[in-house]
Amino acid sequence: MTGTVNHDPRLAVEIAGIHFNNPVIGASGTFGYGLEFAELIDLNRIGGFSTKGLSSRPLAGTPPPRIVETHGGMLNAIGLQNIGARAFVEEKLPLLERYDTRIIANVFGYSDEDYIEAITILNDGAGIDAYELNISCPNVKEGGIVIGNSPAAAARLTERARRASTRPLIVKLSPNVTDIAQLARAIVGAGADSLSLINTLVGMSIDIYTRRSRLNYGTGGLSGPAIRPIAVRMVHEVACAVDVPLIGIGGIASVMDALEFIIAGATAIQIGTANYYDPRVTVKVVDGLSEYLDRTDSPNIGSLTGSIIKDQP
Amino acid sequence: MIETVATVESNLEITPGYRLLTLNFDEEVEARAGQFAMLRARASFEPLLRRALAVYRVAGKRQLSFLYQILGRGTEQLSFVERGGEVEALVPLGNSWPVEMPERSSVEASRRAIVVAGGIGSASVLMLCEELARARIDTQIFFGAASGRVASGCGLEDFRALGLPLTITTDDGSLGERGFVTAPLERHLRDEVSKKSLRGADSTIYACGPWPMMARVNEIAARFDARCLVSLEAPMGCGFGVCVGCVVAVKTDGPLGYASYRRVCTDGTIFSADTIRWEVNAMSH
Ligand SMILES: Cc1cc2nc3c(=O)[nH]c(=O)nc-3n(C[C@H](O)[C@H](O)[C@H](O)COP(=O)(O)OP(=O)(O)OC[C@H]3O[C@@H](n4cnc5c(N)ncnc54)[C@H](O)[C@@H]3O)c2cc1C
Ligand SMILES: Cc1cc2nc3c(=O)[nH]c(=O)nc-3n(C[C@H](O)[C@H](O)[C@H](O)COP(=O)(O)O)c2cc1C
Repeated sequence: MTGTVNHDPRLAVEIAGIHFNNPVIGASGTFGYGLEFAELIDLNRIGGFSTKGLSSRPLAGTPPPRIVETHGGMLNAIGLQNIGARAFVEEKLPLLERYDTRIIANVFGYSDEDYIEAITILNDGAGIDAYELNISCPNVKEGGIVIGNSPAAAARLTERARRASTRPLIVKLSPNVTDIAQLARAIVGAGADSLSLINTLVGMSIDIYTRRSRLNYGTGGLSGPAIRPIAVRMVHEVACAVDVPLIGIGGIASVMDALEFIIAGATAIQIGTANYYDPRVTVKVVDGLSEYLDRTDSPNIGSLTGSIIKDQP
Repeated sequence: MIETVATVESNLEITPGYRLLTLNFDEEVEARAGQFAMLRARASFEPLLRRALAVYRVAGKRQLSFLYQILGRGTEQLSFVERGGEVEALVPLGNSWPVEMPERSSVEASRRAIVVAGGIGSASVLMLCEELARARIDTQIFFGAASGRVASGCGLEDFRALGLPLTITTDDGSLGERGFVTAPLERHLRDEVSKKSLRGADSTIYACGPWPMMARVNEIAARFDARCLVSLEAPMGCGFGVCVGCVVAVKTDGPLGYASYRRVCTDGTIFSADTIRWEVNAMSH
């Protein structure tokens, strides 16, 4: 399958020493294990994808209903249902070998040890390019506080994961914090090679007739175009605070959306929810980026990263 | 599976609130009975997610029709699209109704099918009924709707045209028998079984309709030892297996294990009714 794609060299980016053919990446939880998209797009044409969150053991997830559409977005409480790190290594990775696209293994756990266990299993897998740590998980050993909401807990986990991992480490920030720049600094200080942001925002929707939450779990993660301005602002703030490459995520549905994140400071971007209602959106954004470079006479995509012009004090 | 923009051939009101949408595709679509599509009026800002609609009919090699009820904003947006307008489509999706009978009823005379349609669930079973008729399988249809008007909206005329034995019920008694469709179904099975020659196990029940109806059909089927297949419904994010949002709870041996949930879109939509945990409703209402 390689060799058939003519990549636009102007779109190539590097994150933590990994080469991406372009900066367009499928977001975790919206791209399955990649293979689900093989019938819909040419996987060689996208920069990469992040797997559904993988845990040390397979997980059943939460009872339905798990999703509800809101204005400009959706809430989800999937409960991180996944096949487990071992099954990913043994059953999915061999099938992904033939694609020239970067594979990011998204990892989560309910304690530091849980994360380390999953990473240790994944270290055996051939073909994984990097890990993305989903830190928006409750730590069951510490009364269920969300690891990613506490800079100290997130830094401690990052440090341990950094030591356990044989691959570059991307840490995915939770937006459910007061000061995302402070969180980012703590995590980069602990050794993260890159940051991706943002994960979903905690939200809720109520059925006024049953007076119950529309999700069985109660609350859910808000994603989709509705969260984009918040995500762009957070990428901008984090870009001003740290020096590692950033991957912008949140409501991207078109090339214009992707460019906002890049100009705000992202080296690459991930597309999530839009894959559901526009399954070929990733490839459309790749094409759109080349057109934008042509139209604006920009030498390459890297020249746009962080190119925001600040007139305000 | 094709992902494309289809053009509207027609979008006709059958009765108020119920429409038949016929779409032209630029390539051939091979859709089997019980499969579905994810559809969205093109370039509409809201809602974002496509909506699942069963393939009602393969109208031509490159033409499919969908029978739908206007329920909320997604189906309402679809209702506004006129002839020549565009609809984003991902199709065909999901598994299909198996028409082959199980081994245990391989005796020619006992190949019997019972189709139970509740409300707009009818849209998923019209092609099945056609296939059963073509396979010369003895088929009984039970067709339930809220009222005579709703029954028309749910394609009653198309079912009548099949010429198969058809029993109609309406909740308000405005057409056919008053009450739920499960009442004549139960009577039918009891009568069948009382004829010495037949066992419930000789019949396969195919059901699609509201969750409580299908749960009840499952109970009845179990009582008469009939094989029962259901096409389930759950709000869907993607329709092709990646969001894992549209799950139903299935029976597993152990406590809540990994295999406790199945995706309606790719593991179904058609399931053996006895594998479903009916007490865990996949719908929010
Ligand atoms: C595989 C499958 C096949 C289907 N086939 C058909 C069909 O052939 N014809 C047809 O008319 N309908 C069909 N449906 C149901 C159809 O998808 C829903 O009616 C539609 O998604 C509602 O969208 P809306 O935007 O109009 O309503 P919304 O604004 O989303 O919701 C309005 C109300 O409908 C409920 N609702 C939301 N999603 C669904 C859903 N998936 N099913 C039922 N209620 C829902 C909401 O809880 C709310 O109460 C099918 C559903 C599935 C899963
Ligand atoms: C249904 C669903 C499941 C998700 N699962 C995960 C996951 O397993 N791990 C993770 O890090 N993020 C997960 N996410 C978050 C997305 O990767 C992304 O950060 C978020 O949805 C915002 O991007 P978007 O607006 O483009 O969807 C999930 C999102 C959705 C909608």
